[in-house]
Amino acid sequence: MVTFTVNGKSHTFDGDEDMPLLWYLREDAKLTGTKFGCGIAMCGACTVHMGGIAQRSCSIPMAAVDGENIVTIEGLGSGNELHAVQQAWIDEDVAQCGFCQSGQIMATVSFLQDYPNPTDQDIDDNLDNLCRCASYVRIRKAIHRAASVLRGEM
Amino acid sequence: MNNMDRRTFLKVSAAAGALVIATPNLSFAQSGANSRYRNLDANLGFYLKIDPDNTITIGYSVPDDGTGVSTALPMIVAEELDVDFDAVKVEKLPPLYKTEKGADGHDDQEYRGQTIHQSTGGSQAIRRSYVMLRQAGAEARDRLKMAAVDEIGAPFEELTTENGFVVNGNKCIAYGALVEKAARVKLNAEPKLKEPEDYKIIGTKRPQKIARDVATGQQKYCMDMELPGMLNAVIARCPYIDGLVKSFDASEALKVPGVRHVFHMKRIPEDRSEQKYIADGIAVLADSHWAALKGREALEIEWDDTMWAHANNAWIDQNFDNLVANAPRNIRLEHGDFDKAYAEADKTLEVAYEQPYWAHATMETPCGIADVTADKVKVIAGNQTAVRVMNDLMNVLPGYTHDQFDVTIMRLGSGFGRKFIVDAVTEAALCSKEVGRPVKVIWTREDDLEQDFYNPKGRHIFRGGIDKNGKLIAANYLHCSTDNDFATHAFPAHHVPNYRGEVIDSKVLPSGPWRGPTENVAGYAMQSFVDEMAHLAGKDPLEYRLDMFRETGDTPHPDFSSDYMRADRFINVLQMAAKNAGWGKELPKGHGMGVASFMTFGGYAACVVEVKVDDDGTLTIINACGAADPGIAINPQGCEAQIESGTLDGFSAALGQKIEIEGGRVVNNNFDSYIMARIGSMPHKFTPEVARNFIEPRGLGEMSLPPAIPALCNAIFAACGVRIRKLPIADQLMQAMRA
Repeated sequence: MVTFTVNGKSHTFDGDEDMPLLWYLREDAKLTGTKFGCGIAMCGACTVHMGGIAQRSCSIPMAAVDGENIVTIEGLGSGNELHAVQQAWIDEDVAQCGFCQSGQIMATVSFLQDYPNPTDQDIDDNLDNLCRCASYVRIRKAIHRAASVLRGEM
Repeated sequence: MNNMDRRTFLKVSAAAGALVIATPNLSFAQSGANSRYRNLDANLGFYLKIDPDNTITIGYSVPDDGTGVSTALPMIVAEELDVDFDAVKVEKLPPLYKTEKGADGHDDQEYRGQTIHQSTGGSQAIRRSYVMLRQAGAEARDRLKMAAVDEIGAPFEELTTENGFVVNGNKCIAYGALVEKAARVKLNAEPKLKEPEDYKIIGTKRPQKIARDVATGQQKYCMDMELPGMLNAVIARCPYIDGLVKSFDASEALKVPGVRHVFHMKRIPEDRSEQKYIADGIAVLADSHWAALKGREALEIEWDDTMWAHANNAWIDQNFDNLVANAPRNIRLEHGDFDKAYAEADKTLEVAYEQPYWAHATMETPCGIADVTADKVKVIAGNQTAVRVMNDLMNVLPGYTHDQFDVTIMRLGSGFGRKFIVDAVTEAALCSKEVGRPVKVIWTREDDLEQDFYNPKGRHIFRGGIDKNGKLIAANYLHCSTDNDFATHAFPAHHVPNYRGEVIDSKVLPSGPWRGPTENVAGYAMQSFVDEMAHLAGKDPLEYRLDMFRETGDTPHPDFSSDYMRADRFINVLQMAAKNAGWGKELPKGHGMGVASFMTFGGYAACVVEVKVDDDGTLTIINACGAADPGIAINPQGCEAQIESGTLDGFSAALGQKIEIEGGRVVNNNFDSYIMARIGSMPHKFTPEVARNFIEPRGLGEMSLPPAIPALCNAIFAACGVRIRKLPIADQLMQAMRA
């Protein structure tokens, strides 16, 4: 039996502990904002926070989730209030197909904790989520915008 | 070559518009005899729902795969309707099929003799909807005005509309209070469409309506949907090209907890000389996706790999060598006397450009959900074309009639041409029929990269000759490819007085359209060739192109989506991109700038790229400027997004993408080995610009990719003198700089 929280609510799981967290979130918890993209932690579409840090949920077995606090895109804001990164994604109209963007947002939130005033080089060196539509111009703008907001400059 | 008479063109366009408008047909508001308004309970025609509280919902008929049509198409209706677009809600319309069956199955329904366009692809969505959606909006507006005549107490002619209200002096009535009557009134005259000069919504930057749902994870795609009692399927598809299941043992798979069924799914079509539609394979159905995956891993399968066991990348290249030397060529275009002019040219060049197979790698892998029961077929799909979903399913489910189909098409987690093919949902339907329960099929990334309908691999061989003044007087373009498409009339085919364009085909992997099919690689080849000729002539590559357009003027282009190419539009986009990039300015050591342009499906695009190549061959894309002229820009914000995306998608393909074939199968089957660009290899600076005009719209989904790749390669040459004649760029620069 694995016990953990998702977006602040407690969950238990007693199935196949080899199953990646991604499929628990999508099929058991019905939190489909976290997406499947590659299954080998190479694209980041499945990015969630575990212990406040971005992790690729397609490659985290349920066995490793015991005692952890998981946050998904659905739990990132508080109530109707969006996280600054989500708001920046809307303000910069980042999405094209949109499928990768939950993961992009979750990765960015975690990145900005470590790099509150990121340079373009910091972004290049630390973020590698795949956007198949190549919306990278706007992703970069949104990261800088969110960073400004979080620093209280906007 | 004659300059096209622009006044003649304008007259022809206007006549075409008038013809459409004059077609006698049902009013759109009265033609709602279609009972299939499932997700949009329209009350004023196909497209509109107006609630008593004046909430306006506009339906859109084209699936959105990321090009922004779910915002742009409703903008067109809203323009004529006169509503506050920021307050408008949008909803995907259910597929609207004709009830009668034609030669190709059930077509898209029509409105006033025009097809209700329900397909994303070919950059057609705006083009094929522009007139009809304005008519729909204008008719609704006039009906609302007519409905207000009595209540306001003024004649129709004295009423105006504004932001969702019918207005006369200081009296106004909300549309919501008029809608019931508006659906029943009779109009005395054909609704008049606005002049483009009067547009208030079209041509203004609007954010996408889906932005918040995406940012909060609420946006649903096919992969996110479920049907009650559904099983999850994964399929072990034969990884060998055109291969088959020889034998299989399911006993271990059936022991995996949650696995319910294992069965053979037969290749469609059975004739293996025809391109695969459904691969031969073994389907595993389980309670969860994970259990199905584990079941698949436990299968023992012996494959018949004999058909293409000899095929690998080197074999295809050798095959191209043989074909180029020996195969008959199909001449697609010839004028002047190439052989004579080439023999007499002052300087000549023979070059070949090559590109590998590219995969679509749509972010959402192919997926489909189906529930096939005795009297009904319910499907949830993420495909690009509504009619193909039902028609293709009817082919594999004989006996069902169109009224038994219930098709929902979701937002697509990207398409790029891959999702024209209805394979995943067909597999789901066949599984559902087999087991009598709803089934969802999800493809893993490995399935996707192994079983794609790839952009063809090709070789483009040019011979070119210039005269003493550097003018390009002779060119022969031979395209040897695993597909037969050819950019017959693309620049510079009609700009060279002695020209021959010819093709040789062969077939290996299944192929299909990939963002800008044909143009995507023709752009690379033709624009690299022109660049090489400019350098051979000792001319500025931008001026060389501009001179050719100025000298030749408009040229014929009797091909998909355009009848001719306009020189002034090409010149304009080239100059926009060049100006934004600072073409001609002094650059630091190791930097270089490259330019290219291409017309794709009637839309004009240019790209200027600045790169830096270090002494060790490290490539940095410093800046990119994309310009496009799609005709009238409905949503310039969306247009800019497509310029950005098309350009960077091109860079991604050029930098690292290549499908590797060994022993008759694709071997690089995930993102660890199929290399797609991340933010770190993309330029920090990017400037998009959209031309502003009122020319009938074309699209923008594909236009910006074909010039992006050659602009990058031409910039690399300018920076370090290395000519990229084979894609992907990969580590070529490092090797070249080391040598």
